[in-house]
Amino acid sequence: MSKIFRTSMFLFVALSVALAACGAPATEAAPATEAAPVTEAAAEAAPEDPMAMYAPDAVEGDVITAGSSTVFPVTERMAELFQQEGFAGSVTVDSIGTGAGFERFCVAGESDISNASRPIKDSEVEQCQAIGREPLEFRVATDALAVVVSAENDFVTNLTIEQIGQIYSGEITTWDQVDPSFPAETIQIYSPGSDSGTFDYFVEAVMEDHGGEEALLAREGAQYSEDDNVLVQGVVGSPYAIGYFGYAYYVENTDTLKALNVEGVEPNQEDVDNGTYPLARPLYIYSTAAIMQEKPQVAAFIYFYLTNLEDNIIDVGYFPAPAAEFEQALKNWELGVGK
Amino acid sequence: MEENIKSQPMEPQIFRQFDLKKKFRIGEFLIQGSLFLTGILSIFVTLAIVYELGKEALLFFVDPDVTLVKFFTTTRWQPGIGQYGIVALVSATLTTSFIAILISLPLGLASAIYLSEYASPKARGILKPVLEILAGIPTVVYGYFALLFVTPILKLFFSGNQLQTYNMLSAGLVMGIMILPLIASMSEDSLSAVPRALREGAYAMGATKLETSTQVVLPAALSGIGAAVIIGISRAVGETMIVAVAAGAGPNFSFNPLDAAETMTGHIARISGGDLSYNTIDYTSLFAIALMLFLVTLVLNLISQWVVNKFREQYE
Repeated sequence: MSKIFRTSMFLFVALSVALAACGAPATEAAPATEAAPVTEAAAEAAPEDPMAMYAPDAVEGDVITAGSSTVFPVTERMAELFQQEGFAGSVTVDSIGTGAGFERFCVAGESDISNASRPIKDSEVEQCQAIGREPLEFRVATDALAVVVSAENDFVTNLTIEQIGQIYSGEITTWDQVDPSFPAETIQIYSPGSDSGTFDYFVEAVMEDHGGEEALLAREGAQYSEDDNVLVQGVVGSPYAIGYFGYAYYVENTDTLKALNVEGVEPNQEDVDNGTYPLARPLYIYSTAAIMQEKPQVAAFIYFYLTNLEDNIIDVGYFPAPAAEFEQALKNWELGVGK
Repeated sequence: MEENIKSQPMEPQIFRQFDLKKKFRIGEFLIQGSLFLTGILSIFVTLAIVYELGKEALLFFVDPDVTLVKFFTTTRWQPGIGQYGIVALVSATLTTSFIAILISLPLGLASAIYLSEYASPKARGILKPVLEILAGIPTVVYGYFALLFVTPILKLFFSGNQLQTYNMLSAGLVMGIMILPLIASMSEDSLSAVPRALREGAYAMGATKLETSTQVVLPAALSGIGAAVIIGISRAVGETMIVAVAAGAGPNFSFNPLDAAETMTGHIARISGGDLSYNTIDYTSLFAIALMLFLVTLVLNLISQWVVNKFREQYE
């Protein structure tokens, strides 16, 4: 029996190695030469569609994106659709956090597109310029930061920003300190890690008056993870746990999680759009004009991304960007490709 | 007679002298050379690992904010805000490893005694491979088993908020299950290596099978079993995915198994998951932790060697 088992294992491992070898990364294809100019007669008969060259099946090569775990679901969705529409290359979507994404984009210069859950900082722009990149901004959506507890939590429905800050800094450690009618149980804390743009935004929006990033990282008993699913699992597991992350992850777990009102405002489309929900923030992708012109597949992907947001963004769990911002993104795209 | 012998004189035999000088053969040379190279490669890899660990860890320790005293005596680990007390991570590693050995040692030893002393050859032929298949399960699977199966069961035994969703207890229990086949298999090999004569002698004195197993064979195999236990501990200390998934995601100085806490290995896995900047204290701190792990397993290996030599007995 063990001899047959070992033989099977050996064959399996050998096969796996062979398959891994077959999966060697394809070299980047040379950019397609520009189409020959049409004759005058043909031009008159059928005017050339200026956007045809940016169709998914008309471009080749790879697209490399990296950055925010919050923007990740949007970009991943667009990447899948882009490939379904005929794109032959690969779109890499690495979820490593906004700050880390900008570093890869602006310092290492390895990625074509950087996913970000906050606007690019001046220091990051300077880093980009230092390597010859001029960041081009595309607003893609609005994220509501969801502050969540387990669905089994039957006592809390609303928290003020002040209270959230006190909880995450350790000034409040048990629920009865929030409200005397709540149970006297230790609050279990879950938070994205410091590489996450969600973390950065939370520090900026909630922790400024409560010791800032230091207090959040020094919080006794807190659990941190870049993987929002780890946070979901942790909060779901106890009625006394609290966490925060992008609205997308809340939407995927509405049967087991409960999103709290913040300052009495419920996280939904209307309150995000009219600006009354206090923990809403813009989501972006960044690229550069040089990249878009040098790699048409990047320009094609960004155009596809922007024009397919409306049909997909609610499904992914975010809110559409305001119309003015969306139009600005399209203008930036035209600026990028040089039209 | 004498005349006959004399009439046949012995003619001297001249034998051609063979040249016994070693003849050079290209095939043999290549084989020996490649075998030598593979041996050297193992040593080279070990030295390369030690060099890399030492180099990066040195960058951590020469940082002005880091002192050896602080490193070994403070109980908060959060490099992002200047806290460098590795005790917070060591406490979690020790707690989970202790729970693991608490589970796997009695179960492993009992399995080994059964397989070695009680099982029929047919039963042993089936059970031992099955036990060893347990060793082939990827540890990330064990991690989710701990998080999604064991933790909910444990919550039935603890009221309210006592047991956190991420806790060292479920991670430790499942880690014990993971190293169970290792201990059982090595212990069984040690028990089987004890000469038959010792058993026969015990039976001759009227001992029962249980008495023979526990009072004669087990002490005789002590050196092998000791080595198995220490290797099991070493394996538990170095285990990464089970504790990364199930034990917790925040450094926490605690020996309470019900608490969430992050082990040395789990911390390295979590922090490496982000995109660390090279040449930051966050980055070099991972190598300091790795060096600590390396030293711990090195010490355990040395103890293992000592145990084997100390308790070894010659029976034949």
